[in-house]
Amino acid sequence: MNPQIRTIADLDRVIHEPGRLMLMALLFAVDRSDFLYLQHETGMNKGTLSSHLSRLEEAGYVEVEKTYRGKVPQTLLGLTAAGRQAFEQYRRNLRGAL
Amino acid sequence: MDEIESLLNRPKAYYNIDGVGELAMGFMCLAYSLLGWLQANAPKGSIWHGMPAFMIYVGSMCLILHYGPKAIKKRITYPRTGFVEYPKRDTLWRPMILGAVVSAALSAGLMVGLRRHWNMTTPAALIGLLFAASYAYGIARIGMARWKWAVVCVVALGSVAIAVLPADVVGALAGHSSVRGAFLLTFMLYGAVLLVSGGISFWLYLRHTEAPAPEAQ
Repeated sequence: MNPQIRTIADLDRVIHEPGRLMLMALLFAVDRSDFLYLQHETGMNKGTLSSHLSRLEEAGYVEVEKTYRGKVPQTLLGLTAAGRQAFEQYRRNLRGAL
Repeated sequence: MDEIESLLNRPKAYYNIDGVGELAMGFMCLAYSLLGWLQANAPKGSIWHGMPAFMIYVGSMCLILHYGPKAIKKRITYPRTGFVEYPKRDTLWRPMILGAVVSAALSAGLMVGLRRHWNMTTPAALIGLLFAASYAYGIARIGMARWKWAVVCVVALGSVAIAVLPADVVGALAGHSSVRGAFLLTFMLYGAVLLVSGGISFWLYLRHTEAPAPEAQ
């Protein structure tokens, strides 16, 4: 197989989906953020955002912490070490493919 | 690839989405210039020349700078558009401190190199232009609103205007020392411009955002 095509085939499909790619990029640049911030920045509705985050959590890329801000429940999200590594690898592969 | 890079810069722009960063910087510049003006114009023996007043003033200013933005973020920004915890390495303090040190070193070098011209106001203008350049770099790098370029122009033009003002006019501000007067004017200019810019950002933020219903969390 042509090496460039091989690089495209090697792209991480969990991250490659546009919605999840947005989330990974936003979370990569911060330590942690809450659900509301991701919703505000991506413009996704709650259901779509939850679904993407669950997929990323299943893959071990995102860790979710349920906490409270005063009396209001707050969901804090951050990339795991594996998530950071996977995103860096994805960027390298994408650069290589382009 | 560019879209990914732009997304990676979004959290940096988010820090000043409410204008609080600029409000804090503007407050700091105005507070320092007020202190400088008081020290230059207060009569001899006034409390403003003593160390205790200086320590209390600077201590109060630091407390306001530390807790003020945090309180605004906690009560207004986080409930409206969400909470972000930044990695330590990504704070803006390092480049800001570096910029201040470089500016101070350049001005000191210029003043020492031209000892016969102690009354010159060029160092203040030089710092103003450096400040405008670093602000412009920030706008371009993190993609702030386009109208922020007006801030760059006002600071750059204001700094040049201060440099060409007659020395006695500038000196009248600060006990007939034109260099001190120029620095006071420069800090007042930064403070006023940043406060206005931060205030506009804050007003626009309040106008365009509202806290979601409680179940959204």
